[in-house]
Amino acid sequence: MVEWSSGREKGKKKVSFLGFLKPKKEKRPPVSGQDRGILVFENTSEVIRAESLLKAEGWKIRVMGPPPEIRSGCDLVIEFPLIEKLRILRTLNKAKIQPKEIVPVIHPLLQPVDLFQIKDFGRYLMVRAANMKLTVEKDTRTIVNVSGGGCPDVPYLAKEMVGKTLSESPVPRDIGHTLCGYALQLAFEETTRICCL
Amino acid sequence: MSVIVDASGLSCPQPVILTLNKINELKKGEIKVLVDTDTSKENVSRAAESQGWKVTDIQSNLTGYEITIRK
Repeated sequence: MVEWSSGREKGKKKVSFLGFLKPKKEKRPPVSGQDRGILVFENTSEVIRAESLLKAEGWKIRVMGPPPEIRSGCDLVIEFPLIEKLRILRTLNKAKIQPKEIVPVIHPLLQPVDLFQIKDFGRYLMVRAANMKLTVEKDTRTIVNVSGGGCPDVPYLAKEMVGKTLSESPVPRDIGHTLCGYALQLAFEETTRICCL
Repeated sequence: MSVIVDASGLSCPQPVILTLNKINELKKGEIKVLVDTDTSKENVSRAAESQGWKVTDIQSNLTGYEITIRK
């Protein structure tokens, strides 16, 4: 009786010709310059939710300004590794977040407006991010002022945060739903970082 | 007797900071804060209340608002 060889060596995995060419798949590849996509959402609230969710799942994503050719949706997009498109969409769908558009990156993206301006008023420190300002008393890290923007949730954010320390205060991203809330989140994070130095 | 803090024409957060500095200096009493925008009016009122002071009066005039706070 002849034992047919199946082409495999005993105890070894079958290696196809294409196996050598297949790129090694990493679990959470960083966003590179060649294989990025962008998720466009209807409003900033969805961007904020999607960003929180995807970062919590370990994906390396970035929130950026939309390219000129994208005219729909809000003023922020999420850049993601294109190879992870299906898995990312599954994650978003489970949370009932539906991107308006999903497109590969083919033009340079606008940089997000996240430049910080920091002003020291002696006893108080102000951090400005985009259109939002956060001022804290340095000794106690108590938030004394929240202002800027023109979004409808700014008074609410101010009411919830003023008078509380940075650690007591709710995180703007958790209670805000607008671009102002997002900008305030940036200011909050930067203020926290500075105060912890 | 009221102490006056003139914060009119100043951009945020200076009205709040001037008010808080005066609050910290006086500890109690009455302060009249002059501001010229709705935003400053809201911010100063909020900041004062967070320090345990009460906004007892807000007068509107041609140049803005006079906010009276007391403790």
